[in-house]
Amino acid sequence: MGFGDLKSAAGLRVLNDFLADKSYIEGYVPSQADIAVFEAISAPPPADLFHALRWYNHIKSYEKQKASLPGVKKALGKYGPADVEDTTGAATDSKDDDDIDLFGSDDEEESEEAKKLREERLAQYESKKSKKPAVVAKSSILLDVKPWDDETDMAKLEECVRSIQADGLVWGSSKLVPVGYGIKKLQIQCVVEDDKVGTDMLEERITAFEDYVQSMDVAAFNKI
Amino acid sequence: GAAELELLERLLGLPAGNKYGVQGERKVPVLQTNNGPGLTGLMTIASHLVRQAKKDQLLGSTAEEKAVVQQWLEYRVTRVNGSSSKEDTRTVLKDLNMHLEDKVYLAGNIFTLADILMYYGLHHIMVDLTVQEKEKYLNVSRWFNHIQHYPGVRQHLPNVVFIKNRLYTNAH
Repeated sequence: MGFGDLKSAAGLRVLNDFLADKSYIEGYVPSQADIAVFEAISAPPPADLFHALRWYNHIKSYEKQKASLPGVKKALGKYGPADVEDTTGAATDSKDDDDIDLFGSDDEEESEEAKKLREERLAQYESKKSKKPAVVAKSSILLDVKPWDDETDMAKLEECVRSIQADGLVWGSSKLVPVGYGIKKLQIQCVVEDDKVGTDMLEERITAFEDYVQSMDVAAFNKI
Repeated sequence: GAAELELLERLLGLPAGNKYGVQGERKVPVLQTNNGPGLTGLMTIASHLVRQAKKDQLLGSTAEEKAVVQQWLEYRVTRVNGSSSKEDTRTVLKDLNMHLEDKVYLAGNIFTLADILMYYGLHHIMVDLTVQEKEKYLNVSRWFNHIQHYPGVRQHLPNVVFIKNRLYTNAH
């Protein structure tokens, strides 16, 4: 995760590569994620990093509305390319929305030193962790489920989503949020045990309700 | 043509009920009105629908934006239609790829009718592109993926998949 040092040329290059096929840092609308990264950059990226420059100029145009953009600002290290290769792209099912992967993937170079330091720290963390009693890691996830159009039966859509049962998954409250053009999306909370339920699985099962669900996005993800 | 206009109507939240016909060899859409010969032309009817729905901002706000929107609507009508040759298609994709290098939307920073009609017009082309071609026209792919996720735009059209991992990293 993260772009490295965004005040350095190397960091900006990572950002540039990351934004080559994306309009925004996360998802398909400007959010606090974009503001967080924007504020970490001291000046417009140079012209040769044209994807980063395109993004920078676009986000700048939202300067006045930045406080009202959706989402919650997270630490910079939470955004950007992940270390792991993303293999969700090659879908044969045309309904498979791979837009849920919030973090594109890219190669991240790690120097020998940094690697050693990280492994040392991991070992320390592991030994500390093994001394603590086992606490189940849970997360609270807010999902945005979008219907096909304004005529979709949102009550039925919600029923379908709630019918998804899994060990370690508990559904919470929900509400309908208008998104424009008369369409409402379902925003629904759930609490998951990290080891048992992941957003990929949730996305698969939710988007399986093809008649009602157009797509699903993770609106917010918080560790409990 | 007419199918696009129906998609546009739903996107705009207009009640259904408009009657569309086609005219001539090139199947130009015609909107039948209660009195008179009706409105002809994709661009004309689309702009009319936008105003009917009171969503004029989709046509641009400043004079410059409005001109850019009109420019791309004209481009769409004259250069992107069912009878384009492979070469024409390549030129269109090249043009768009260059234009979108520094823009998120066709008109720059705002979503307009130009994006909507270009999306509908290009859909059948994008659906058939290979992975390599999608990467070659990287900016078009980015823009197309963005527009197809815009609420209300895609409707029943198939989602076009764009792979996250770029296989050809020197394709700019």
